[in-house]
Amino acid sequence: MSTKFPDWNNLAGFGEKVLDQALGHVGTLAGRMLEGNVRLGVTGLRRAGKTVFVTSLIDNLIRGGRLPFMDVVAGNRFLAARLRSSPDRSAPRFAYEKYLANLTAAPPHWPAATSGVAQLRMALRYVPGSSMRRSIQPISTLNVDVIDYPGEWLMDLPMLNQSFADWSALTLELLEHEPRRQIGARWLHWLSTIAPDKRADETATKEGASLYTDYLHACRRSQANLSLVQPGRFLEPGELAGSPVLTFCPLPLPEATARPGSLWEVMSERFDDYKHNVVRKFFVEHFSRLDRQIVLVDVLGMLNAGPAALHDMRMALTACLEAFRHGRGGWLSKLTGGQIDKVLFAATKADHIAASQHGNLKNLLDMLVSEARNAIRFEGATVDTMALAAVKCTETVTTEHQGRKLACIQGTPLGRQKPTVLFPGSIPDGPDLFPEDVAQPYRFMDFEPPAGVGRDGRGLPNIRLDQALNFLLGDRLV
Amino acid sequence: MSDRDRQGAPRQAPGWQPSNWQAPLELEPVRPGPGANEATPQTEPTGDDAGKFANLSLSHWNWTVPGFIGGVLALILVALAFDASDLLSRAFASSYAFGAAVAGLVALVVIAALKLAVDEVISVRRLRRIDALRDEANQLLAADGHGAAGAFATTVSRFYRDRTDIAPTIETLNASINDAHNDREIITLIDRQVLAPIDQSAYNSVLRASRDTAIATALSPSAALDVVIVLWRNLKLVREVATLYGAKPGRFGSWRLMRRMLGNLAVAGVAEGLSHVAVDALGGSIAAAISTKLGQGMVNGLLTARVGVATMVLCRPVAFTAENRPGLRRIRTELLNVPKEVL
Ligand SMILES: Nc1nc2c(ncn2[C@@H]2O[C@H](COP(=O)(O)OP(=O)(O)OP(=O)(O)O)[C@@H](O)[C@H]2O)c(=O)[nH]1
Ligand SMILES: [Mg+2]
Repeated sequence: MSTKFPDWNNLAGFGEKVLDQALGHVGTLAGRMLEGNVRLGVTGLRRAGKTVFVTSLIDNLIRGGRLPFMDVVAGNRFLAARLRSSPDRSAPRFAYEKYLANLTAAPPHWPAATSGVAQLRMALRYVPGSSMRRSIQPISTLNVDVIDYPGEWLMDLPMLNQSFADWSALTLELLEHEPRRQIGARWLHWLSTIAPDKRADETATKEGASLYTDYLHACRRSQANLSLVQPGRFLEPGELAGSPVLTFCPLPLPEATARPGSLWEVMSERFDDYKHNVVRKFFVEHFSRLDRQIVLVDVLGMLNAGPAALHDMRMALTACLEAFRHGRGGWLSKLTGGQIDKVLFAATKADHIAASQHGNLKNLLDMLVSEARNAIRFEGATVDTMALAAVKCTETVTTEHQGRKLACIQGTPLGRQKPTVLFPGSIPDGPDLFPEDVAQPYRFMDFEPPAGVGRDGRGLPNIRLDQALNFLLGDRLV
Repeated sequence: MSDRDRQGAPRQAPGWQPSNWQAPLELEPVRPGPGANEATPQTEPTGDDAGKFANLSLSHWNWTVPGFIGGVLALILVALAFDASDLLSRAFASSYAFGAAVAGLVALVVIAALKLAVDEVISVRRLRRIDALRDEANQLLAADGHGAAGAFATTVSRFYRDRTDIAPTIETLNASINDAHNDREIITLIDRQVLAPIDQSAYNSVLRASRDTAIATALSPSAALDVVIVLWRNLKLVREVATLYGAKPGRFGSWRLMRRMLGNLAVAGVAEGLSHVAVDALGGSIAAAISTKLGQGMVNGLLTARVGVATMVLCRPVAFTAENRPGLRRIRTELLNVPKEVL
């Protein structure tokens, strides 16, 4: 027997090897197929901190040294993260390297305001937590897609669901109140000189649109730091700068039905054009199939700007969030078909206040978004709120002031060279945010990124970025 | 500067806790006082007198029993001392060399006894410190504040300072904690980064011990031997687990610990009654029903597991949470494999 089949054992070994290899191939193939994908929607009004958040998120995932609250990191299962080219070529790549260079330069500075859309895909490699999954696939990959865009564009989202008449009525109603009435005085004056049902004349149209654009710019610049400014492309036109799509403005509803060729008709057509070809295109391309969403809210900035700003921001946020598909509801889904099952509301720039105040900041955010949060919960998605800082620029220190211990922060205020210690004020834990007899109760300062930030190679220092990521992605990294 | 900054301060703003409201202001860029800025505050609040903290197991201090035992021990000691001196004088009387040898032996005995006693005292103190740490952690969690847990983290790192195996995790912990973390977060970090790896090894010890007892008692020929095996293996397990958590129990200390823990099986939330143990074991496997000996082995195994888990609960400086509380499920499945191995 053994002489006849001298290689019997080897043959068996060979067969085993072949089988092994085949299985290995199947394994990697299956592995490819089993690669997870998550589209993370970073949502935030202008200057809320989206660009900085995305930069810090990428940097921290790549370096992995400051994420102790991510379960996958805490369990030593996280292997590495790499940037990948995005399968969707319709938008430029997010310039992570450039923004990181900004933050780590000497002297460091913040990235400039975003003027166009950018996207990035990141692949996270990790070891599955359960032995069952490990036996199928020893190493798993999760692809995370993020996009960044000017916050102004987000305000276009509510327009998708409105007709020109609806939108005009809402906008004009806003203009009846201060501070908008004052800011928009010149455009309102123009409005009183025209009749929407008269024949359109191109110079008048242009003038109206340009005055309206000026008004939007003034809103954005204003002390009240208004958020509800539409249409967003009037402020950040991106590739549309100077395009005729951007020459319209809201009009009062004419008494009689407008004749073809009237100003109302012309503007209405341009509005629809804008809605379909600009807004819808953008949201379908980039906000479709979102799985997770983080809503960044600059609560502190709004407190600085006062009650009008806060109120405005709440309206703006509510209007935007209605569109998303959370759980089952939301009309954006009719365009896209995605389903968001986890939403995180985050108060950004938490490093502007002492750490002992973070609890109050979170409670305040809870209060501000309570309606949206309940609506989202009702639709079956999970919601959480958090106070975080994508890039931590201050240290909390305790100092003695007039015999009292004060929790202060130490950092370099924006525009200065030297670090200083300041008491930024506190956030009340009740609903009475703006007491009558205090002229300006809040003066939270912006800070420069700390010198030498990120030099230790552990990722940008942050506050609760890891907890945010764990909430948003943790269940996909098990 | 601060005058101008204080202009906006309210005199009496309703709802603003006027007594402690403070307008935003900029202070001199002086050195900040000792604050919550890093996890390196200097104070170590829990001294060795920490036994005064409410203790989850030591029952009311009653002087009669210790007084009685202590008195008897002291009397025995006095008698022994008399005997020893008598012995020494007689030995020296017979020959100088013989006397010196006996004196050396007596010294050895005394030194060894002292060493044992000191070790026991240290081990009891360490156990008390663990209790105190756990109490402090619970208080911090309940208060849900900010700035106090940095000191707690320092205490924990100091508690483990001579453990080279834990040093890396302590280092990770210190690198992870920053001034923005609140007390709850810092305790969670301690829990996950320092204690979770210990939990892992402790659980493995428990697993091993419970298998050992199960197999050994299943194979042992006599009930008396069973008892010896179970006692010996449990004691060894208690020592192993306690040592892993840094309790360093002495011989006597392990006994105490074991006694205390047996009394606390219920408190520790692992015991649902011994009948349950039997049901656990027997209900799961037909093999166990066939062989009473096997069944006994598994009951013993489960008992050992319970003892081990209870020791983990008692020796952990931060109490387990609902999520990370060690369960008996894995041990149970492991034990159900025992019949196959034995048969
Ligand atoms: N201290 C601190 N400041 C931050 C942080 N994130 C953002 N900021 C500040 O907020 C500003 C705006 O941040 P961006 O990330 O550019 O905001 P954005 O949402 O991308 O804004 P748009 O591009 O205009 O929509 C920055 O220039 C910083 O001054 C943070 O984590 N900490
Ligand atoms: Mg941006």
